[in-house]
Amino acid sequence: MTQMTRTSNPPLTTPITGGVGESPLRPDGALKVRGEFAYSSDLWADNMLWGVTLRTPHPYARIRSIDVGPALALPGVYAALTHEDVPGQNAYGLEHIDQPVLAVDVVRYQGEAVAIVAADHPETARRAAAAIVVDYEVLEPVDNAETAIFGEGVPKLHEGGNLVRYVPILFGDQDATAEVVVSGTYEVGMQDQAFLGPESGMAVPAEDGGVDLYVATQWLHVDQQQIAPALNLPQDKVRITLAGVGGAFGAREDLSMQVHACMLALHTNKPVKMVYTREESFFGHVHRHPAVMHYEHGADRDGKLVYVRAKMFLDGGAYASSTGAVVANAATLGVGPYNVPNVKIEGWGAYTNNPPCGAMRGFGAVQACFAYESQMDKLAEAIGVDPVEIRLRNALSEGSVMPTGQLVDSAAPVRELMERVRDKPMPPARTSEVDIRTMPGGASNTTHGEGVVRGVGYGVGIKNICFSEGFDDYSTARVRLEVIGGEPVAMVHTAAVEVGQGLVTLQAQIARTELGVQRVTIQPADTSVGSAGSTSASRQSYVTGGAVQSACAAVRAEVFDLARERFGVSDLALEGGKVVSASRGVLADLSDVLGDRAVEHTREYRHRPSFPIDPLTGQGNAHVQYGFAAHRAVVDVDVDLGLVRVVELACAQDVGKAMNPDAVIGQIQGGSAQGLGLAVMEEIQLSGAKIRNPSFTDYLIPTILDMPPMTIDVLELADPNAPYGLRGVGEPPTISSTPAIVAAIRDATKLALKRIPVRPEHITGT
Amino acid sequence: MRVKFTVNGEERTADDVWEGESLLYVLRERLGLPGAKNACEQGECGSCTVYLDDTPVCACLVAAGQVQDREVRTVEGLGSEEELDPVQQAFIERGAVQCGFCTPGLIVAAHDLIRRNPCPKDAEIREALAGNLCRCTGYEKIIDAVHTAAAHSRGEATS
Amino acid sequence: MRTFSYVRADDVDAALRAITDEPNAKFLGGGTNLVDLMREDIERPDTVVDITRLPLAEVEELPDGGVRIGALLRNSHLAAHPVIRSRYPMVAQAVLSGASGQLRNMATVGGNLMQRTRCLYFYDDAAACNKREPGSGCAAIGGFSRSHAVLGASASCAATHPSDLCVALAALDAIVELRSSRGTRRVPLVDFHRMPGDTPEIETVLADDELITAVELPPPPSGVSRYRKVRDRASYAFALVSVAAALDVQDGVVSSIRLALGGVGTKPWRAYQAERALLGAPATEESFRAAARAELADAVSLPHNEFKIRLAESTIVAVLRGMS
Repeated sequence: MTQMTRTSNPPLTTPITGGVGESPLRPDGALKVRGEFAYSSDLWADNMLWGVTLRTPHPYARIRSIDVGPALALPGVYAALTHEDVPGQNAYGLEHIDQPVLAVDVVRYQGEAVAIVAADHPETARRAAAAIVVDYEVLEPVDNAETAIFGEGVPKLHEGGNLVRYVPILFGDQDATAEVVVSGTYEVGMQDQAFLGPESGMAVPAEDGGVDLYVATQWLHVDQQQIAPALNLPQDKVRITLAGVGGAFGAREDLSMQVHACMLALHTNKPVKMVYTREESFFGHVHRHPAVMHYEHGADRDGKLVYVRAKMFLDGGAYASSTGAVVANAATLGVGPYNVPNVKIEGWGAYTNNPPCGAMRGFGAVQACFAYESQMDKLAEAIGVDPVEIRLRNALSEGSVMPTGQLVDSAAPVRELMERVRDKPMPPARTSEVDIRTMPGGASNTTHGEGVVRGVGYGVGIKNICFSEGFDDYSTARVRLEVIGGEPVAMVHTAAVEVGQGLVTLQAQIARTELGVQRVTIQPADTSVGSAGSTSASRQSYVTGGAVQSACAAVRAEVFDLARERFGVSDLALEGGKVVSASRGVLADLSDVLGDRAVEHTREYRHRPSFPIDPLTGQGNAHVQYGFAAHRAVVDVDVDLGLVRVVELACAQDVGKAMNPDAVIGQIQGGSAQGLGLAVMEEIQLSGAKIRNPSFTDYLIPTILDMPPMTIDVLELADPNAPYGLRGVGEPPTISSTPAIVAAIRDATKLALKRIPVRPEHITGT
Repeated sequence: MRVKFTVNGEERTADDVWEGESLLYVLRERLGLPGAKNACEQGECGSCTVYLDDTPVCACLVAAGQVQDREVRTVEGLGSEEELDPVQQAFIERGAVQCGFCTPGLIVAAHDLIRRNPCPKDAEIREALAGNLCRCTGYEKIIDAVHTAAAHSRGEATS
Repeated sequence: MRTFSYVRADDVDAALRAITDEPNAKFLGGGTNLVDLMREDIERPDTVVDITRLPLAEVEELPDGGVRIGALLRNSHLAAHPVIRSRYPMVAQAVLSGASGQLRNMATVGGNLMQRTRCLYFYDDAAACNKREPGSGCAAIGGFSRSHAVLGASASCAATHPSDLCVALAALDAIVELRSSRGTRRVPLVDFHRMPGDTPEIETVLADDELITAVELPPPPSGVSRYRKVRDRASYAFALVSVAAALDVQDGVVSSIRLALGGVGTKPWRAYQAERALLGAPATEESFRAAARAELADAVSLPHNEFKIRLAESTIVAVLRGMS
């Protein structure tokens, strides 16, 4: 980063606005508010066909036969394809290549894709898909994770059995004893990402026999790596351009309609657009792993933790997706942001016939946090100490050692975060003059105060930032600097996916700061530049930010070479559109130095390596960086009716460096809302491995009337290993918000509440 | 069937419309106006909110035939080529746009609120926008944006 | 969704002709339920008769002190109407507690009466449903039954009636006016909806050729009136339990009481037994609870909706306590 030693002359440069640390307006904002931003479901091409997927209604069944004849007989239908038509490998997957593009002889979850149809109108395509005749032999589904792994006579859903991954963490003395012991079994229901933009995109067959795919996804290159072998095409013939993304939260990490649309496009030689309905969307993406977690905490009389033991069962559903990494996260982060000298955690990820589970914001850390924070409150009560105090006594800090043996080698301000949320003034008590819209139950003229009890609760969580366990985690950026219209303009090109978090804004901010130019354009993300890795794990500011910074540094170095040649000076910097020297002041306009030249460099950026954990002990430097956030929740509970209103959420989070302060606040508010949803209303209801509520009527996410005002403290304790000292922001607020809210409900009701989401009947009893 | 109606002040005709298409589908797929969004197409999210004869409705549940000779205004019809509507401008300025999929529906709903109630309090804003889901923002910056837009409409300086 | 014809009626006679002349025809009002059900392939009319331009959207004050509400009045206009707000506040509250602003702008009074259940199995075409396909069975009764009815269910069906407005109308002794080419008839709202019995597919007494033209309310009951809804989030969700109540207390004694329940019955549920227990009783929490218990005494629960019985009792008590 350029630094200038000021001379006695006033600076002759006009400062650039909108650099790192500021909150410039997002470059796609105008298009979005005008309704002109092209989301993946807004794409349109002349001559295009509509693709639709036929999905099985059975969670577990053998396929005896598939007859697409009736579909092809309908006018307007151009193709009806099955597994027989998959040009290449009929399998894909993020960790295990275990999922068919189209089912062959078995279906393993309700909603699994069996056939695809292309027609000239979406309704025609739907009717054609419905006309396809599939003969099933329906089987009894396996719908419990523990049974799937340990049960007798349970069918093997995959070749290798029903265990996806087992992760033990053994640290310290496995036989440690303690004076005070609290235990509990905690359950987290299946949450859904519920992004608003449906799975969608368009595949366009190309002249060279390849295909151009425009799609909303989270990781262009990993999509490409799975699509190409399925289509029997070399990777460079599968060209992906990111279409506008209507939210992701983990649900777009796995393939949805990509191969299907490409197959239909190549088969019909026409562009094919696919857009899932909302109902289909619930079947078309992975969900958050439901979990059952048995925990035992042992502490001394002062509340200092002696040991934590846990068994965690995560239900991965029909296909592996990223279950292995989710289980590893849950287990390695399973004691929370606390010093624990003796740990035994076992995490199991299972195959079942429940809907497949994979990445969702928080990725295993959410489930663990609900369990360990519930335990900490239980411990506090057993010791007779307040819930904040017990956390302060055990708080992790820089220099602590994690249960994996890994040293926490940068700031870990767990104590300070807790103190900040504790010390926030409490929201005003309810008065008798009450706006009924602020009472539990919302705007439907509810209670006037009788039977309403206020509760306060706390939660603090830890999340790994970036990919772990030795994954080769990198991003690539191409930066080009040239003069356009008399001004120096930087162009940044990455494959990094913008899902709403503001990554496109940030890339421009970095280019401005590093190159001292005002005008920056961001190229559409596509596969013509190297991989940026996934937009997940709160990693993009770090890794793509690092890549953009690196590429800018290379561009800047070349500009300095030019300047050095010309001016014979070495102490150079780029500021305000000019090339300046510490000793000689402003040397020239940058555009003058560049002339006709375009200076362009592409750089890959890797964070410091992480390492696998030992399969028997869980020991290893698995993680790259940690993110911490703490919440305090204040709730009003109508104990007669079981209604909960979250009155206020206070959050304190360390972000290392607030690269864009407004966007940081936006992530904290949005993440907290998703945590609130898991606490009190969100669950995919399963019965017999079937989703009972695949609609927004019955899968409820928070409305504006459910979300309270938030008071937010942002700490900036730099991580010296990260670009600008930043820490990933997106996931921590989703993690600690849920347990804080449930703790507050417990405070108000004195109920144990071991399962989330908490429903009215859990509070009132039956 | 043919449907003829006014969209954003212009008379538009859509031919060969299948009776089962919604106003939302006609706008997005036949009239080149994809601003209103298709997050659920069941009336459960508000992302398809448009003005129908000056009243905000969910376009996904309006059967195409029902708009004959009526007036529709979408997010694309707010503001002008040169200038954004104050509500649109406020959404950008206050950081109320993340992925933006809910944004068009919210902008129409907020636009309607402000013209009926130029000085809305927080509770009134929340009630008026209760029919619009957002998954990214947690709503607070949306409320900020509505206050900013309302102040602008009242001719006040905005901070 | 099936292929269908769309026709528009400009007056009531044209609408009545269309419904008889066109085979398998259905009236289309706001479309907030019908369009969704058609897209789900649950409703399959061959013709849809758009009646939204019929001049049936007025609120008329009647000489006896009651009010006549045109069936095509939009929900939002109903809730905002000064006569309704001042004289029948529970109607306004009930309407405002339902759906969203956008949907209330579209939905009509008549459509609200005709809306169908939100039972998850009714909506799942792979599930057995006697309402959707008579004789096919009921998957809800052995399945996930949290939203199902505890009052008025049968062995064939336990689907809850989802309306808020109808609950208030039931409490207020509303009358539904039905017109056909054969003439006009008036049906009390409490008799308009049917319990499932052996024929859950027949939900109302509306004949195939009839149009709802108006809903009339007698003069309002005395005292305070209120509608309260308990649901899983603060807004934009169907009721777990709702209560419409009108209560007048003189000298500590209940002198007038109307009570109706939503979210718990297979039809909008007028709580006659509770009313009988309350009339003349002291206006105390004990009386309220005894009356609620009396009404819910015959409630039958399924594995996942047992909580509704106690929740209904608690809600009744909370509402009456808040009004007295």
